Amino acid sequence: MEEQQTEYASGNEMAAIAVRQIGYDVMGYYPITPSTQIAEKLDLMRAEGETDLTMIAAEGEHSAAGICYGAAVGGGRVFNATSANGLLYALEQFPVQSGTRYPMVMNVACRTVSGPLSIKADHSDLMYLLNTGWLIFFAHTVQEVYDFNLIALRLAEEVRLPAVVAFDGFFTSHQKCRCFRFANDEAVKAFIGPKKDPYPFFDFEHPITVGSYMNEPDIMQNKYQLHLAMEKARTGLPECFSAYQTLSGRQYAECEGYQWEDAEMILLLLGSTYDTATVAVERMRRQGKKVGVVTLNVLRPFPAKAVYEFCRHAACILVADRQDSYGAGGGNLSLEVRAAMQKYRSTAKIKSLVYGLGGMDFFVEDAVRIMEDALCDDGRDFYYYGIYAGEKEAENKGPFFAPLTAERTKLGIVNVTKLKKGIEAGGLNLNATTAMPKRIAAGHGACPGCGIPVNLNLLLRGIEDPVVLLFQTGCGMIVTTPYPKTSFKVPYLHNLFQNGAATLSGLAELCYRKQQQGEIPAGDIVFIMVSGDGGMDIGMGSALATAIRGHRLLLFEYDNGGYMNTGYQLSYSTPKGAKSATSHVGKAQSGKSFFHKDMPQIMAASNIPYVATVAESHPVDFMRKAVKAAEYAKGYGTAYVKALSACPLNWNDAPASERSVIEAAVNSCYFPLYEVEQGKTSITYDPDAYGKKIPVLDWLSMMGRTKHLQQSKYQDIVQELQAEVDRRFRCLRAKSEHPYL
Amino acid sequence: MEKATAVRLPVTDQDGYYEIRLESIGGLGANLCGSMLGELGSSELGLNSTSFSSYGSEKTGTPVKAYIRYCEKEKEIRVHSPVTHPHILGIFHEALLSDPAVFEGCMPDTDIIINTEHSPQEIVALTQVSGRVYGVPAQKIAMETHSRINVVMFGAIAKIMGFVPLEAVKRICEHALGRKYPHALPANMEGLTRGYREVWTEAVCLEKTTVQTVKRDLPDWGYATAPDGGINPQYGNSICSDVSPSRQGFAPVFLPERCIHCGLCDSTCPDMVFQFAPGEYRGKQMMINRGLDYYHCKGCLRCVEICPVHALIAEKEADHPDKQWFLPNQDLLRTPSYYRESGPDGYITSESYLTEKRMERGEV
Repeated sequence: MEEQQTEYASGNEMAAIAVRQIGYDVMGYYPITPSTQIAEKLDLMRAEGETDLTMIAAEGEHSAAGICYGAAVGGGRVFNATSANGLLYALEQFPVQSGTRYPMVMNVACRTVSGPLSIKADHSDLMYLLNTGWLIFFAHTVQEVYDFNLIALRLAEEVRLPAVVAFDGFFTSHQKCRCFRFANDEAVKAFIGPKKDPYPFFDFEHPITVGSYMNEPDIMQNKYQLHLAMEKARTGLPECFSAYQTLSGRQYAECEGYQWEDAEMILLLLGSTYDTATVAVERMRRQGKKVGVVTLNVLRPFPAKAVYEFCRHAACILVADRQDSYGAGGGNLSLEVRAAMQKYRSTAKIKSLVYGLGGMDFFVEDAVRIMEDALCDDGRDFYYYGIYAGEKEAENKGPFFAPLTAERTKLGIVNVTKLKKGIEAGGLNLNATTAMPKRIAAGHGACPGCGIPVNLNLLLRGIEDPVVLLFQTGCGMIVTTPYPKTSFKVPYLHNLFQNGAATLSGLAELCYRKQQQGEIPAGDIVFIMVSGDGGMDIGMGSALATAIRGHRLLLFEYDNGGYMNTGYQLSYSTPKGAKSATSHVGKAQSGKSFFHKDMPQIMAASNIPYVATVAESHPVDFMRKAVKAAEYAKGYGTAYVKALSACPLNWNDAPASERSVIEAAVNSCYFPLYEVEQGKTSITYDPDAYGKKIPVLDWLSMMGRTKHLQQSKYQDIVQELQAEVDRRFRCLRAKSEHPYL
Repeated sequence: MEKATAVRLPVTDQDGYYEIRLESIGGLGANLCGSMLGELGSSELGLNSTSFSSYGSEKTGTPVKAYIRYCEKEKEIRVHSPVTHPHILGIFHEALLSDPAVFEGCMPDTDIIINTEHSPQEIVALTQVSGRVYGVPAQKIAMETHSRINVVMFGAIAKIMGFVPLEAVKRICEHALGRKYPHALPANMEGLTRGYREVWTEAVCLEKTTVQTVKRDLPDWGYATAPDGGINPQYGNSICSDVSPSRQGFAPVFLPERCIHCGLCDSTCPDMVFQFAPGEYRGKQMMINRGLDYYHCKGCLRCVEICPVHALIAEKEADHPDKQWFLPNQDLLRTPSYYRESGPDGYITSESYLTEKRMERGEV
């Protein structure tokens, strides 16, 4: 046996350790809870010089899968980690990877699939992978996460198929416990063996074509090859497990069970609840009840024979699924178990249930209860465990607020004038606009001092028409709509953050159509999409396409320079040099490696009628631009407004100080205030003109995330950033001065 | 490194586990404390152990729970669900004492360790359940030693467990912090040691069993009553959340005689606290700042920072029990039955960056 050492670590941490020890070449990834920690941990190791893994933070999971595919074709060892909707977003890439036969390993920290949006564990994401041609391992313990990562890669490369190592989000990904790893990386590398590359891509003497267009007889043969590879994996698996046992002393098989040998009733389930159920079995055995529990360590290839062998003596099998194949009469595990048992002519009574969706806790008592129910044969063949009807007569005391109809918001404070050179808005002052009823109710859960509600209020307090809000996923959405609460007093819709702008296009067009048809009253309505900078990364394509189509709506971006609601991973808007959970600062890495994205200029290049930047430090300017944007959105086309938005939690500064931090960003020209109205750029606030221009470092020094840049060893980064900020501002100035730019 | 000699657990549940639950508010570091307690079991006490946190937000002010399970070294830990009947309950903030759910599952022999400066008699009045209560002035010690509440609580909890030597606790803390934050280590070691030494030696035994249920002004929707698809027709009902527990000791105090009603406070407040209404100021008809809705003030003090005439000042909340300018939201059609809630069921699940930033700031 190879020497091992103990770790006190979580599933995500053990996955990262395995990745480091294997010595992967590339990880393409996009952060998504609960798998994000894997990338965070690896980034930390990178910063400390413990791994030279090339980590590429994509702008979304679809691209992350593309990065992985490219690197795999290039002959690299490639790793990815994802969950839930991220997995679904990348879904079309998985058959490409398996169909062209490039091995890699992806970890899936299983989480429920939206919508409604929820972040906790179930298996609704994983089961979408069953038909993709990937090997699928399921680790029910933290130890197995480590072990299966090694076994999966070895098998994947042996049969040239990509592999998934799945485990329960949070229950396994986040629970820390004592586990073992090999003391020497060489032992890990030896177990996996050298990377074989039968068709080297970069061999210019023997160039190859990857990804042919294929017609019908050939596709049939290609898919049969894939089937054969899966069957090869089935026969190769025992050898893989046994080689691993020799090395580690830990014995694995496709299936495992507890007290199953003589059990009259067997509970079959996946993931961490298997362990919980073994405790229930102990309790019931103490009462003389002959029950057992079985789980699967491998889902693809599906171990039908092993399932049969484990369950063949039981009179009753209860399959508990942590997802449902709606309309099929059970979750996917139960369907496959039923098929397996039928294949081997079992006469056992098979029942199934759906439990634990969205991470609903599963206690020992729950396991006892479902097994008791199965034993007493209550006639239920399939049911949902853990549902309740709800209070019948909920007292409805009526709304808390009067609805914000046009009469209540048309205060007549704002004068909008349409001039030849554009639209102008007057009458906006802070005292008068306190009269505007807030569209968002208090009691939302944003952190103390958060900039998001501040920016939303400034955006909306001058807009007197009714508004419809669509939020993309992000802090702003999470903190305002925790069911059964909502902070919105106006019609509100959420969609996932790669698709908000498109969704609002559809919503707005339908409204305009209904107005035209007289189904709803005519009158101006302002359609506003609210997104963070994360949403403008993954959703940039959708937002740009919406702008180019020219739908009459307003895209509002609050940019806090990071993915804050998942624990601050870098976004493309994070300042260069800033530290984040995926851009650590250490001896081998100096924070984020590239410049902040210039979204207003990207939007301006789509030639929409109105683009503006706003900052809470200049509230009247903010309100004025918001009103102008709303006018353009109502009558002309897409308007885009971006605010720099404070995040005291992750900027690591005092909540009370945020307005001055924002002001410093403006005064340093890191976040210049300007508008591009019908193609004409105007700088609306030039700090030079007021003698207020400051170096970018003065702003960076105000925040914990960038304070380290004061140290002389980072002066190159600061100089580069300053030069880039100056260059961008010079361009703006040139555009504002020249009528054709 | 694992110790050769294993400690004997004084008590376990029917499945052989010794269980700890920490009740805290985001920002106090309960995650890290839980993780250190977990590692303590495996690395120092010769036991097997696991630890995890409630998978909610790490946002400042949001409730956080951490769970730790111990068992004998040879035994596997097979239960992954939250701790419902803790042998040890650590409470990181007194504000939590008013929430009956914090004490859920407490048994008469549960040891409850509370971060408090109150006397045993006062604590009896504040606490609502059975159990043996120990106090430790963790906040005070953390401030005095420039350490963090979580290390002080770590020391105190380890002491009350009764089978943990101080040296073992110190080694864990050193392992957790020393490598990355060597400059913060001496202060935290002192905080930890004082927590271990200054936690009460005698418990106050409580024999109350009044677990009250909280009546919330929110629907209890189930599958038969909830609108399909998760649609929520009860617009603006977040107003019934009383988010004042997010305040960390300070609140803005309003001095209306100074106010010029400029509206800057309303423009910087993330929580819609300021209640403006038409009125007259110096003979002029304008919007007048009538007061603050303290149910929704999270104490960020943005308004204090921005007020040009110091009509809003930051004061210790304890010095202002009756807030003269407390004016609940004036747009309300009916008064909600406000319930205290310190945050949403949020979504931040990564502690690495947060721990780092707190350590660097030397935050307690």
